[in-house]
Amino acid sequence: MMDLGVPYSQIVLAAEQTVYMVFVSLAIGTLFAIIMAVTLVLTNEKGILKNKYIYVVLNTMINIVRSVPFIILMVFILPLTKEIVGTRVGTTAALVPLVIFIAPYLTRLFENSVLEVDGGIVEAAQAMGASHFEVVWYFLLPEARGSLILSITTGTIGLLGATAMAGVIGAGGVGDLALTYGYERLNFPLMLFTVIILVIFVQIIQSFGNYFSSKIRNH
Amino acid sequence: MIDFIDISKTFTIKKQQVAALQHVSLKVNAGDIFGVIGFSGAGKSTLLRMVNALETPTSGRIEVDGQDINKLPFSQLRQVRKRIGMVFQQFNLLNSKTVYDNIAIPLLLNRVDPKDIQLRVLELLDFVELTDKRNAYPTQLSGGQKQRVGIARALATNPSILLCDEATSALDPETTDSILRLLEKINQELNITILIVTHEIHVIQRICNKVAVMEHGKVIEHGSVLEVFCNPQQPMSKKFVQTVIADKIPASIIQVLQQDVRNYKIFMIRFLGENVNDNILYHINKAFDVETNIVFASVNELQQTVLGIFMVQVIGSNAEIQDVIDYLEQHQLNWQEVIV
Repeated sequence: MMDLGVPYSQIVLAAEQTVYMVFVSLAIGTLFAIIMAVTLVLTNEKGILKNKYIYVVLNTMINIVRSVPFIILMVFILPLTKEIVGTRVGTTAALVPLVIFIAPYLTRLFENSVLEVDGGIVEAAQAMGASHFEVVWYFLLPEARGSLILSITTGTIGLLGATAMAGVIGAGGVGDLALTYGYERLNFPLMLFTVIILVIFVQIIQSFGNYFSSKIRNH
Repeated sequence: MIDFIDISKTFTIKKQQVAALQHVSLKVNAGDIFGVIGFSGAGKSTLLRMVNALETPTSGRIEVDGQDINKLPFSQLRQVRKRIGMVFQQFNLLNSKTVYDNIAIPLLLNRVDPKDIQLRVLELLDFVELTDKRNAYPTQLSGGQKQRVGIARALATNPSILLCDEATSALDPETTDSILRLLEKINQELNITILIVTHEIHVIQRICNKVAVMEHGKVIEHGSVLEVFCNPQQPMSKKFVQTVIADKIPASIIQVLQQDVRNYKIFMIRFLGENVNDNILYHINKAFDVETNIVFASVNELQQTVLGIFMVQVIGSNAEIQDVIDYLEQHQLNWQEVIV
C-alpha cells in the first residue's frame, strides 16, 4: 500500500468523524428545518394559518443566521455550545454549530419544496375536513417528498463542506486531516487522497438522493 | 338543504375593492342537481366554495341543513365538511399516491378501520368503473379517469352533498358525457344532492333540474331548467340557451323571406311536452283561410320533456292573421312575433 505519511487508522477515524458529524447534524437539522419550513408555508400570505408576525420573525431569524459564515458562526456560539454539550471542543461539540448552520439552510430548501405543492391539494384536503396537522402530514409532506429528498441531498453536501472547517474546534474529520497533515506538512499524496475521499462521498450522496427522489417522482 | 341568504363577497386586490358576489340568494333542495352557469369571473366558483366554508362571505349567511356554516367552531366545521364531497376542475389528486390510496385518504382522516377502508375503496372503484386501475398513479391516467378517482374520493365518506367546481371543463366532449352520466347515477342511486358550477350550458341541459345564471357577481335568472330554457328572460341567459337550443332563422331563409312580397307575419311558437303532438298547424289551416309555411323548427329533449320551437310564416290578409293571433292567445300557447 501507498505510504500517506499517517497511519491508516487515523484516516479511518477521520472518515468516521466526518460521517458522524454529517449524519447526526443532518438528522437533527432536518427535524428543525421541516418544522420551520412548514411554519413558514402555513403562515405566509397565502397560507392556511396566515400570521404576519410569526412569518416575519421566523423569516428574519433564518436570514440572520444564514448571513453568518460557518467558521465565524462556530466560534461566535462557543458559549452556547458549552452550555449544550458541556465542552467547546471535539467532534460532538461541532454538532451544535453544524445544526445551527444547516437548519436554516434546509429550511429555505424545504420551504421551496413545500411551496411547489399545488394549492389545489391543500384545498382538497380542507374540503375533506382535514385538520391543519393532517393537511401537512397527509397531503403537503407526501406530495413534496421527492423534492424534499433532493433538498436533503443538497444540504448533506453543504454539511460535508462545513465539517472541513470544524477542525478549528478540534472536531477532526477528513477536512481537518487534509489541512493539518496534507497542507501544513506539505504532504501532497495525503491531500490528494482526502480530496478523492470527499469527491467519492459527494458522488455517493448525490446518487442516492437522485435515485430515491426519481423513484418517488416517476410514477 | 343549502340556503344562500343574501350573500355578498368583496375581495381587496391591490387596494381595490372588487365585488365578487352581490346579494345572492339561492335555495338548493335535497335531491336537486343544481347548476350555476356563468362566464369566468362571474363569481360562481366563489359561491360554490362558500358551501364548505373554503370561502367566507363578507355579508349574508349560508345554511347547510339549517346550520349556519360560518358560525360553527372549526372542529364542527370539519365534521360538516366530511358530509360534503367536492370535485375539482384540476382533479387535485395526490400524485405521490396510487388511485387506491387517493380514494382511501378521506377514510384515513376519519380513522376508519383498515379492513373497512379496503371494502369501501373497492366498492367505490367498482362504482366509478376503475377497478383495474387501483394500483396506478394519477399521472398514468387520462383526464376522465382522474376525475373518476376525484369523484370516488369525494364519495368515500358517504356525503349528502356533492360540490362540482367545473368538474368537466378540463375534459373532451365524450369524456364529459361519461362523467355527467356518472354524476346522474350518483344523484339517482345514492340520492346525493349535487351543486355544479360550469360555463358549459350543455352540462346544465344534460343533467340539471335547476339552474341559476350568474353575471358580474349577481344571479340574473334562476328556476327550473325547463322554465329557463323554454323562456329565458335575460340577454345573458338567452345567449347561453341559444347555443344549445336553436331559435334563429338561418340567414339564407331570411333572405328569401325578405323578398317575399305577400302579406305575412312570422310567429315563433314554443311547445313543451305533450303540446308537441297537438297538431296546432292542422287546426289553424282548417279553421282559417291562411297559408302556413314552416320556415324553421327545432326539437330538443330536456329533463325527459320535449321542447319544440317552430317558426311559422302565416300568409293572408291582416284580418285573417289577427284571427290566428287570437287563436294562439285562446289556446295559451307560448308565442311571439318574429320580425325579419
